[in-house]
Amino acid sequence: MSILYAPVISGAVEGQVDEAVLKQLVTHVGAALGPIHGKNGKHALLQRLPGYNAAAQWSPWAVLVDLNQHAACAPPVRQTWLPHPTPGMCFRIVVREIEAWLLADSARLARFLRIPATRIPPNPEALPNPKQTMVNLARGSRRRDIREDMVPRPRSGREVGPAYTSRLIEFAESHWRPGVAARRADSLRRSLRRLRQLTTRVP
Amino acid sequence: MALKGSPSRTLRFTHIYLENWRNFAQADVDLQRRAFIVGPNASGKSNFLDVLRFLHDIVSVGGGFQDAVRRRGGVSRLRCLAARRYPDITIRVQIGTEESTSIWHYEVRFSQDNVQRPLIKGERVQKRGATLLERPDEFDRKDPERLTQTYLEQVNVNREFREMATFIASVRYLHIVPQLVREPDRSVGRRNDPYGGDFLEQIARTSEKTQKARLRRIRDALRVAVPQLQELELWRDARGTPHLRGKYEHWRPQGAWQTEGQFSDGTLRLLGLLWVTLDGTGPLLLEEPELSLHPEVVRVLPQMFARVQRRTGRQVLLSTHSTDLLRDDGIGLDEVLLLQPEPEGTSVRTANEYSEIESLLKGGVSLAEAVIPRTRPERAQQLSLFGE
Repeated sequence: MSILYAPVISGAVEGQVDEAVLKQLVTHVGAALGPIHGKNGKHALLQRLPGYNAAAQWSPWAVLVDLNQHAACAPPVRQTWLPHPTPGMCFRIVVREIEAWLLADSARLARFLRIPATRIPPNPEALPNPKQTMVNLARGSRRRDIREDMVPRPRSGREVGPAYTSRLIEFAESHWRPGVAARRADSLRRSLRRLRQLTTRVP
Repeated sequence: MALKGSPSRTLRFTHIYLENWRNFAQADVDLQRRAFIVGPNASGKSNFLDVLRFLHDIVSVGGGFQDAVRRRGGVSRLRCLAARRYPDITIRVQIGTEESTSIWHYEVRFSQDNVQRPLIKGERVQKRGATLLERPDEFDRKDPERLTQTYLEQVNVNREFREMATFIASVRYLHIVPQLVREPDRSVGRRNDPYGGDFLEQIARTSEKTQKARLRRIRDALRVAVPQLQELELWRDARGTPHLRGKYEHWRPQGAWQTEGQFSDGTLRLLGLLWVTLDGTGPLLLEEPELSLHPEVVRVLPQMFARVQRRTGRQVLLSTHSTDLLRDDGIGLDEVLLLQPEPEGTSVRTANEYSEIESLLKGGVSLAEAVIPRTRPERAQQLSLFGE
């Protein structure tokens, strides 16, 4: 008989947008998402990594961390951050920020932001600061509401606008296609493959 | 007043200047569309919001200057303790829009006479730099009795600045106390009770169409926090008393109806918060909206207000102790008002006046982590010894 229940994957992420993305990935591979931990920034996440790793002995876990400017590529960092992952642990490094994965579905993003698709960089993983790119793209939006939500006011002293996060969550949950985005983001493609393995693994 | 579709033209308070008002010997601060007021306990967060409530009470129907001062226990209770001798209390506000932040100026200066009656020492209204009112004027000098009332509260003399008076009257304050919502008998006869005593009456007073539409929106939003909620409606019992009732998904196929008496504190507070957000367009003052709410719900409040404001332009000023609320990346440093008790009274500064905070954020520290340590009571640890 085939599997009756979708396997449940627990997760840990840096923030709210990452949570929305992880939810999509898990659904995409036919699993169900369990409790999501963290959402308290990168530092806190890395600190708790041994705990998540230990918990992954009992049930599958997926952890997403942004690479940011830590290294040129992910593998050496993986070694430092989590040298001995348990078999149930899917520890993935996002190159370089979660926004890169969202930028990778350029057709949908262009429609969401109301900008020409040609403005979206074709190789989002090569971007040094994808968040900045996202904000700049939003700045060119034809829609006032997008600009006001996503672009910071000049004197705010922040990198993003007042409703940037909720806009990206909205995009990730209702428009973004992980399968399509994976073609332009290699770290995403590998993550999907690894998640799929996790769901087919006999517990 | 605020028109839908013209949020950039909605009036809001853009600046507050205070002298000798409660905790504040002096305060001088810009206000954005959102303001997050943070500070240690008893630093004056509520008293800061109370400035705007005070102005509102002056212009509101059945209110007036004398009543507004009396309700607060008189001039001596309002005057800053750090003030030397008996100086005047001064409140000066600037009102404007996103495009033009300085349209109206209103200033009231007051003290009390020797029978402790509140007395206006000065009142000024300016519109785009032109003075429309400057008191005391010659009439006041002829009849000092006039100085017991502001011009702001008098319909027959405030015609020239009615727009400003109407705006001030539109200020809305809410601090729902769930117990009062559940037992409305305790606040019988109060109208627009900020603590929610007549909250259900307020909902019942709105037109049926608006009421239904709002409750539907609220139900959908509430489902995020209370997924079992299927329906939400206003319902009158046999005596005609309005109740809110919600239908919860249940093992019984029909589900189960519950009234506000059975709603949790968190559900009631969130409901109140969502209702008041939809109700009206004037500045909204909230005290610790995070109370009884799940951290995940608290976390999205700043974004929710931002999106409401984008549509309506409505100003939201709130006090908070919540790390979850301040964790939001979209909160501008100029939107955070930091209150710090000092020997000469509490100071108010926006977070962008602190270079350290900006550096901390650049280094990856969240706004909450940068700000909350500054609002911590110095000897909070001592409290643990209370149990000894």
